[in-house]
Amino acid sequence: MDPLPLPTSLAEVEALIRALYQPNPPETISRIQEVLQRLQRSPEGWQLAESLIAHPEDNIRFYAALTLIVKLNRDSAGLNEDDAKLLLENIISWTIQSLSDGAAPFVTKKLCSALITYFVLFSHVWPACVRHFIYCLDLGRGVPIENLDDALSTDILVGNLDSQNLKVAIWFVTSLVEEYSADVHQRLAKNGQDATCLLARGFVPPIDEVGLKTQEETLACFQAWILYAQRASSDVDLLVTPLRQLVDPALQCFTNEHLFQATAELFSDVLQNYSGFFTKAHYDALSSFFESQWAANHYQQILHGNHREDGISFGLLMLAYGDAQVQALLEGTDERSQRFLESLSGLLATDGYLVGDDAIFVPALEFWSTFIETMIDCTFSDGDQSPVWKPYAERHLKAVVTNSWRKIQWPSAEIFAEWDSAERAAFCDARKDVADMLQSVFTLEGLDLISFFANLFLQALASQSWAELEATAFCLGALSDCISEDSKYDAELSKVFASQFFDLLGQGQAAVPLRLRQTGLSLIERYCEYFERHADYLPNALNLLFAAVGDSVLGGPSARSISTLCSSCRTILTGEAGTFIRHYQDIRGRQVLDALAEERIVLAVASIIQSITDENEKLQKFEELYTIFKKDFEFAVQLRSQPGLVDLTNPNVLRGLDPPIPSSLPLVEGISLHIALRSMRCIASMSKGMQDVKESPVDLEDESQVARTSEKLAALQSDIVSLLIGVQQVFSTTGEIVEIICNILRAGFSETEPGPFVFPADIVTNYFVQQPFETPRMGTLLSTACSFVGSLYRGPKAIVPNQLVRLLPWVIALLQKLPDTEISQNGICLIDRVLSKYPEVLFQVQPGQMLEFFFMFTLKVLNGKEPLPKTAAADFWSNFITLKPPSPNLASHVSNAMSYFGPLLAQTLINNIGGNAARSELDKLSEPLKKLVTQQVQAQAWLEGALTRTDEGGNGGGFPSAAAERVSMAERAAFLKKVVGLRGARQTNQVVREFWLLCRGSSFAYVS
Amino acid sequence: MGSTLCQNRLIEERKQWRKDHPFGFWAKPQKNPQGVLDMKVWECAIPGKKDTIWEGGQFKLHITFPDEYPTKPPKCKFVPPLFHPNVYPSGTVCLSILNEEEAWKPAITLKQILLGVQDLLNDPNPESPAQAEAYNLFKKDRAEYERRIKRIVRENAAP
Repeated sequence: MDPLPLPTSLAEVEALIRALYQPNPPETISRIQEVLQRLQRSPEGWQLAESLIAHPEDNIRFYAALTLIVKLNRDSAGLNEDDAKLLLENIISWTIQSLSDGAAPFVTKKLCSALITYFVLFSHVWPACVRHFIYCLDLGRGVPIENLDDALSTDILVGNLDSQNLKVAIWFVTSLVEEYSADVHQRLAKNGQDATCLLARGFVPPIDEVGLKTQEETLACFQAWILYAQRASSDVDLLVTPLRQLVDPALQCFTNEHLFQATAELFSDVLQNYSGFFTKAHYDALSSFFESQWAANHYQQILHGNHREDGISFGLLMLAYGDAQVQALLEGTDERSQRFLESLSGLLATDGYLVGDDAIFVPALEFWSTFIETMIDCTFSDGDQSPVWKPYAERHLKAVVTNSWRKIQWPSAEIFAEWDSAERAAFCDARKDVADMLQSVFTLEGLDLISFFANLFLQALASQSWAELEATAFCLGALSDCISEDSKYDAELSKVFASQFFDLLGQGQAAVPLRLRQTGLSLIERYCEYFERHADYLPNALNLLFAAVGDSVLGGPSARSISTLCSSCRTILTGEAGTFIRHYQDIRGRQVLDALAEERIVLAVASIIQSITDENEKLQKFEELYTIFKKDFEFAVQLRSQPGLVDLTNPNVLRGLDPPIPSSLPLVEGISLHIALRSMRCIASMSKGMQDVKESPVDLEDESQVARTSEKLAALQSDIVSLLIGVQQVFSTTGEIVEIICNILRAGFSETEPGPFVFPADIVTNYFVQQPFETPRMGTLLSTACSFVGSLYRGPKAIVPNQLVRLLPWVIALLQKLPDTEISQNGICLIDRVLSKYPEVLFQVQPGQMLEFFFMFTLKVLNGKEPLPKTAAADFWSNFITLKPPSPNLASHVSNAMSYFGPLLAQTLINNIGGNAARSELDKLSEPLKKLVTQQVQAQAWLEGALTRTDEGGNGGGFPSAAAERVSMAERAAFLKKVVGLRGARQTNQVVREFWLLCRGSSFAYVS
Repeated sequence: MGSTLCQNRLIEERKQWRKDHPFGFWAKPQKNPQGVLDMKVWECAIPGKKDTIWEGGQFKLHITFPDEYPTKPPKCKFVPPLFHPNVYPSGTVCLSILNEEEAWKPAITLKQILLGVQDLLNDPNPESPAQAEAYNLFKKDRAEYERRIKRIVRENAAP
């Protein structure tokens, strides 16, 4: 669309402005805006503003004021001092006129903004802007600045202002402090005294409606000036001292119901953000205010549920005061402080439910958390364990704990159902805050706090007050992190765990509401260490958990509790392994468990089996559990060949449905695969459960370790491996199977003692090297192989070389065949690991071309754009350059390789550093560069060759052609000189960075 | 001096966080064994975003603030490490706003960091991979990648 032509008459301009403020399509608006802006920016802009500034229509007048601001900001440089002074008189006159004409407030306020713009630009012309503006208001027109010398004192001028003029003056000083810019700060601060004088007038109790509104605006203006004074903290006497005189008149505004809101906001804001503004006398005055009858009434209102705007503002004001004075209140044992703290703990006990009805609890809890933290700081930093104030403070803590405990009790199901999701989430969040607070209280109160809740637990149990009991269990649960490892609280905890409550839990839904069961069961999990010390309670607890496993709500958490408890109490439970296997089989026979819950239970049972000391018994129990999953797999295979076996009343078939209630019956292959996946995951859980939790020392020279594997164990291992390979063959295209097998293998790698999943190295190596290229998730396999090499290094040395000799060709063949990110990274990592400990094995790899391929491959990766393999390749070269060959024979191999690949490596590095690398890669790439410089005598020549050779083909062979023109040979030589001179020191990275930037050109400075 | 700046800023961050934080998130400074707060290390939890495959999960994150904070960015680390293309095997998060040389600015708040990490969950940046496994699966087999995420979400279900 073509731009609109410039208007030719004032009438046309007016029409355009009117159209601008009318509802119009966005493209029309933007065209109008464009033409008006052109006009504003033209030399006629001043004239336009002047012609329209007295227009009877507010919108047009507003636009004129806006034009003034635009002109001032764009073209004020063209004004000489006389023009500027005249302009000021005019703007002031127009402002005053707008007032007397009855223009809308937004017009007058915009003119005030124009005056502030003027002040920002011409503060040297108009230093006493506040006093001058008031003087002009008094006279009813703009007058020359020089006339100010004859004017009366500011307080008399201010006294003369009528309510209209006062209002504008307040607008002016408000804009002044909100819109000033930092460079006029000095001159603005000098107006502080005049502004204070004006504000004092603004606080004089009003006689009419206008005055009341002005008083409210005075409060906001005062707040803005205090904020300004805080930022300009260097001028305390200039600003803070006069402003402080206004605190008392501002305090008086509290009792005016129209002004209460603004006053509370002012005081809360300053208390929170600039508490040092108030003096001791001010705090005393506020304190007296809180003791007034008026405040007492407001406090009662908030206690009884007035959490609307005014109620909540009053509560927040009290809390802001508390926050600002927290230290004084904590240490003050006087009655006034005590009464005030009491009222603050009362804010935790107002009527109504969290958070929908009660909006003050959460902020009040925040205050108390601060209070408690302050108490902790004082207690631990002073070293005085029993300061005078402690018993006083503890009395308040008691009220805080009790009130919070009451507040977090769940409402009835009917009420809860009425809450929306945000209210429910907020309720849970508030409970978490309480849990946090209790942990802090524990730091101070320790055993007393536990006894308090233990007794409360018994009371609530006796009276069957379920909501109270639930809240108590929740609070005890919250404290578990603080105490569970310490037995000195056990006597108190035993009151809870020996109580009838757990019998009740066993009776299920009918006896105890669901939520309480949930909290009760999680209490067991949280105090798992307690059960380790008190094995007598353990079977009962586990029975409860097993009973809940089938429940749709409690199943997941119960299974998790079972795995936590069994894993940490495994040595106590060894005798129960058989029982637990039967438990598991029973549940499995009755229903299809949630897959994740099932895995957790299997892990739990396996961890018990792990701690059985008798080898025979251990393996027998292991096999019992393992056979279940082996049979699952056999069934899965059977299903594939005999689809007729799909019978939806058979729980073994139902295990194969995912989701458990599918919208349509899946194909038999899908069912079969899912059954296999579930059984494989359970075996993976077994492998985790079978991991030893205690560390045992390893003797690297001990070569007998292999022999310690019994015949029975060896048979079992070979059976497991055949199963894994079998599953993989049947479901050969499913990557998840490979992933699970890798997890199973990894679980064995970290073990130092023999076990069913600690496979002999030969078996593992066989597994890897026999994988066909089509196997899915080859990258994951390779990363597992990398971990395997790491685990070999932690075991007996003798068996290592044989494994590496077989793994290396497999890895390099993979790199040749399938070089994706994951394979490249893991492949290079694995070979790097071999290089670090067995370089001679690496150099023996057959056929010999494989090694050459690998070296070339790493250079290609270094030239590429894939960050992860690139990092691996940089690491590899750093290690290769610094390699200390243990034998002369190897040394000659290494040195041959270095002289062949050295120049190529130098070219690759220079290509990257010359601008082709990403910024984030530079540190990594600097490493091989530093190593080259320190380790290789020929490095300088190689690098020089690379720097002077332009990479015309763009394949990484030298200095990038893109930077060749930009960076001269002299600059390149200077770079090399610096790098060589630094001899591998850290600063090399910085030099590399600078050179890279130079090569990229400045426009790339922030692109990486 | 720098350390005071760091401390003050963290106290302010804590204040702001308590006053206003998005639902389902939590963040608090660690406590030492005596119960005194260590403002330099925060324990946080990030919920998976609604209407994404991450919904329903909650992931624990440790944020460590250096002495030079807020001049330098904090370090975010998932504990335990998370399967995600932009999370290093150690759990450290790779995100431009957490990188001093990229988009870090001292004005970035804790809330913005946590929301940024939450966004990253469902919107990985394939330009800066940090772990090969998740990155490869994300690029090559999206269906499998999503299945894996859903499983991780169930293992880390929000309470």
